[in-house]
Amino acid sequence: MNRNRMPASRRRHMLAGATAIALCTAFQPALAQDDAHYGGTMKLLAVAAGGTLDPQINYTAIYWELYGFLYDGLVTFKKVAGADSAQVVPDLAEALPEVTNDGKTYTFKLRKGVKFANGKEVTPDDVVASFQRIFKVLSPTSGGFYGGIVGADKCLAEAAGCTLEGGITGDAAAGTVTINLVAPDAEFLYKLSVPHASILPADTAASDMGNTPIPGTGAYMIESYDPNAQLVMVRNPNFTEWSKDAQPRGYPDRIEYTFGGTEEAAVNAIMNGQADWMYDPPPADRLAELSTSAPDQLRVAPLAAWWYAPLNVNLAPFDNLKARQALNYAVDRNALVSVFGGPALAQPVCTILPPDFPGHEDFCEYTLNPGPEWTAPDMDKAHALVEESGTKGQKVTVVTDDSASSRGVGTYLQTVLSDLGYDASVQTISGDIQFTYIQNTNNNVQISISQWYQDYPAPSNFLNVLFGCDTFHPGSDSSINISGICDKDLDARMKAAMALGVTDPEAANKEWAKIDHDFMALAPAVPLFTPKDVDLISTRLGNYEFSSQYHWLIANSWVQ
Amino acid sequence: MLAIVLGRILRMVVVMFGISVVTFAIFFATPASDPAARIAGRNAAPETVEAVRKDFGLDRPLPVQYALMMKRLFITRDLTSFANRGQKIIPAIANAAPATLSLVTGAAILWMLGGIAAGIIAAATKGRWPDKILMGLSMAAVAMPVFWVGEMVNLVTQSRFHDTWAFSWVPPLGYAALSQDPWLWFKSLVFPWLTLALLNIGLYGRVLRTGIVETYQEDFIRTARAKGLPARKVLLKHATRSAIIPIVIMFGMDFGVLVGGAAVLTEVVFGINGVGRLTYQALKVLDLPMIMATVLYASFFVVIANAVVDMLCLAIDPRMRRA
Repeated sequence: MNRNRMPASRRRHMLAGATAIALCTAFQPALAQDDAHYGGTMKLLAVAAGGTLDPQINYTAIYWELYGFLYDGLVTFKKVAGADSAQVVPDLAEALPEVTNDGKTYTFKLRKGVKFANGKEVTPDDVVASFQRIFKVLSPTSGGFYGGIVGADKCLAEAAGCTLEGGITGDAAAGTVTINLVAPDAEFLYKLSVPHASILPADTAASDMGNTPIPGTGAYMIESYDPNAQLVMVRNPNFTEWSKDAQPRGYPDRIEYTFGGTEEAAVNAIMNGQADWMYDPPPADRLAELSTSAPDQLRVAPLAAWWYAPLNVNLAPFDNLKARQALNYAVDRNALVSVFGGPALAQPVCTILPPDFPGHEDFCEYTLNPGPEWTAPDMDKAHALVEESGTKGQKVTVVTDDSASSRGVGTYLQTVLSDLGYDASVQTISGDIQFTYIQNTNNNVQISISQWYQDYPAPSNFLNVLFGCDTFHPGSDSSINISGICDKDLDARMKAAMALGVTDPEAANKEWAKIDHDFMALAPAVPLFTPKDVDLISTRLGNYEFSSQYHWLIANSWVQ
Repeated sequence: MLAIVLGRILRMVVVMFGISVVTFAIFFATPASDPAARIAGRNAAPETVEAVRKDFGLDRPLPVQYALMMKRLFITRDLTSFANRGQKIIPAIANAAPATLSLVTGAAILWMLGGIAAGIIAAATKGRWPDKILMGLSMAAVAMPVFWVGEMVNLVTQSRFHDTWAFSWVPPLGYAALSQDPWLWFKSLVFPWLTLALLNIGLYGRVLRTGIVETYQEDFIRTARAKGLPARKVLLKHATRSAIIPIVIMFGMDFGVLVGGAAVLTEVVFGINGVGRLTYQALKVLDLPMIMATVLYASFFVVIANAVVDMLCLAIDPRMRRA
C-alpha cells in the first residue's frame, strides 16, 4: 500500500530529546476499575474523509484503522499492542484453518451465533458470497491478493458472473467453509486478515455501496456518514464479545469522526479538550512546541514503511547500473533524516525491507566501509562510478509531491545529483497526482520520491510488489513497479521464496534477505529512511495501544 | 423586458456550456488523471483497471462521455463522485451550500455596512484625522491575506486565550446548522464573518471615498449646493448615491464569486465545510464529476449576481436608464 495509508503530508519535526518522554506510556492504575472506562463519546478529527465506506473496496489508511472494529474476516490480526500485533488469530472462524492438500485447501469452521448488525446470523453462504463479491465489485486487490483462489481467473475476466467455482464452497449443515488455492500461498492468512476479505451479508448488492454502510459483525456499526462532514460509529446492538484478541468490545459508546479544517486547528482542538485524536500528523512547527509543553500527549511508534527514490532503469541516465550505484553511494541518509525531522522521527536505511520486518537483515553496501549499518556517504567512489558510466552532464529531473518532506528530500537529491555532475532539477506535483504520474512510463520520469507502507507483514509485500515483473505495466497509471525493473532471475527466485514460505518460513525469510541484497546490487532505487508514526492525543484518552497492522487501536482506548 | 430576460438566460447557458467543455477538456488533458486507474485503486491488476474503465463508461469517446455526464448532472441528477464513490454530487453541493451562504451573507452585511460607513466618514472628513486613520486601517485590512488573519484569529480565540473570559464562549471550529441551533450558528460564525469581511471593508471604503471625492467635482453637486441643500443631504443623497454604483457592481461580483466557492480559504481555516472546500477537495483528488458540478455552480452564481447588479444599477442611477 502506498502513502495513503499514511498520507504524504505526514511532516514531522521534533526536538530529539522529547521522544524519550513521548515513548513512555502513561501509567494506568487499577485494572479493577476497568468497567468505569466503558462509555462516553470519542472525538476524532481528519482534514478530509477517506471516500467509499465499502470495506471490500476502500484502500485508505484512514478507514482501514476503523474497519478492524466494524467488520470481521475469517481470521484477523490480533488487536494488541507490540510485536504480537502481527499475529493472525481466528475471528469469525472458531480456530485457525485446517490446511490440507499440500497447502492448497483451507477449511474453516465458523463460530456459531455471531450476528451482523442487521440481526441476521453469519452463515457459510455469507462467506461464499463475500468472496465472490470481492471480484464483483472490482476490489483493488482482487487480482493481487485473491487471484490465487481456484476460479479467480474467470472472475477477473468476467466479474459480474463470478462464482469462484471450485474455489470456495460452504457447507451450511456442518458450518464450514472450504477454500481451494491454485498453488500453496504462505501469505494467504494475511490476505484473509485485511479488510478487503471482510465477511458481509450475502444479500449485499454487488456494487460499490459508497456512502451507505454495510452491516458488519464488529463491535461498532456506522450510524451516519457524510464525507463532507462527519462519520459516526455507535455500538452494534447485536454484538457480544467472542474473542478479545479478534474483536474486543471497545471502550467508548460512540465514536465521532469529524472532517474538515486544518491540521493546525486540529492541534488546537485536542489541546482544548474538544477532540481526542487527529488522523493527520501534527504540523511540524507545532511538534517542537508540543514536545516540551505536552510531551505526555505525544506517542511515537515505528512503522513498517519505506521512503525511497525509485530510479527508472529504462531511461537515461539510470538505465546505467553505475549511475544508479553512484547515487546510492552519494546520498547522505543522515541529512535526509534531518530533513524529515531528526532521528526521533526517522532512521536511515540501506535495505528494501524495513527494520524488524520479516526477512530484514542489517547490511549496507552503499556506504563508506560497507557493513551492517550505513555510516557515511562515499563520494570518491560515487564520482568514480559516474565518470565510468559516461552519464556525467546529463539532465535529471526529480519528481516530488507537494508535501514539505517530499520537496525537502527532492531538493536534497538535486544537490547530490549536481555534485555528481548532473544537470539536476526538481519538479513538484500535487500529492494525489504525483503517485499515478510517476507510475506511468509515458511521463518519462527518471527519478521520483515515493513511499510504501505494508499491507501485511510479508517480505513479498515490498519486494515482489515494488520490483516484480508482474507489477510493471508500461503506459498505465497503475504500474506500481515504478523503477520498471524486471529481472527474470530474481523474479523466479521471489516466486520460489513465496513457495518455500509455505513449508519453511525461516528458510524463506533468509532467502528474502538475499533477494533484498541482490536487488540492491542492481540498485533500482535509493532507500532513504524508515519513518515513524506520531500521534497527538487528548489528556482524557487512556490505554493508548499501537498495533503494527492497525496503527492506533481506536476502540481499545477509553475516554473516561 | 421578456426579451432581456430571455437574452440573459441564453447568454448564461452559452457561458456555462463553454466553461463545462473547458473543464472537461482540461481534465482529460492532464497527465496521470486516468480516472479508471484512480478508481481501481493502488496496485490494481490490469484486468481490474479495464473492468472499471468499462463499468464507468470511460472507454467511450470523449464527446459521448461529456454528454452522459451532462445528462446525469442535469436530467437524471444522479451523477456520483469518482473519489467518494456513491456520493451523489447534487445533494453534496446542496448540503454544503447553506454553510457557504451563511458565511458569505453575514460577511456581506458586515462589509457593506462597514465599507459604506468608512467611505462616507472618510470622504466627509477628507484630509483630516478621521479620514487618515480610516484609510490607514483600510490599507492594513486590504494588505492582510484572509488565511493569515483567520489563523491569527484562531490562535487567539482557540489556542492562546481560549480559556480566558474573553473567548471561552467561542465554540469549537466548524459549522452549526441554523435550523438546529440558531444561537450556536451565530456564535460559531462571528469570527469567520469578521475575518472574511475585513478585507472588503477596507477595499469598499477606499473605493467609495474616492468615488464621493470625485463626485464632489461634478456640476450637479455644485447645483445642489447652490440651491442651498444642507451639506449632509448633498453628501448622502446626491454624492453617495452616484458614487455607490461601482460599489454595487463590485458587491455583485464579489458576492457571486464567494457564494460560488471563492471563500475557500476562510472555510478551510475555520473548518466550515462549504462549497469552496468541496471544490478544493475535489481538485486535490481530481474528482471530475465534483469539479464539473462545483465549477458550473460557481459560474451560475456569478452570472446571476451580475444580472441582479445590472438591475440594481438601473434602479439607483436614473442616467443609466436613459442610456
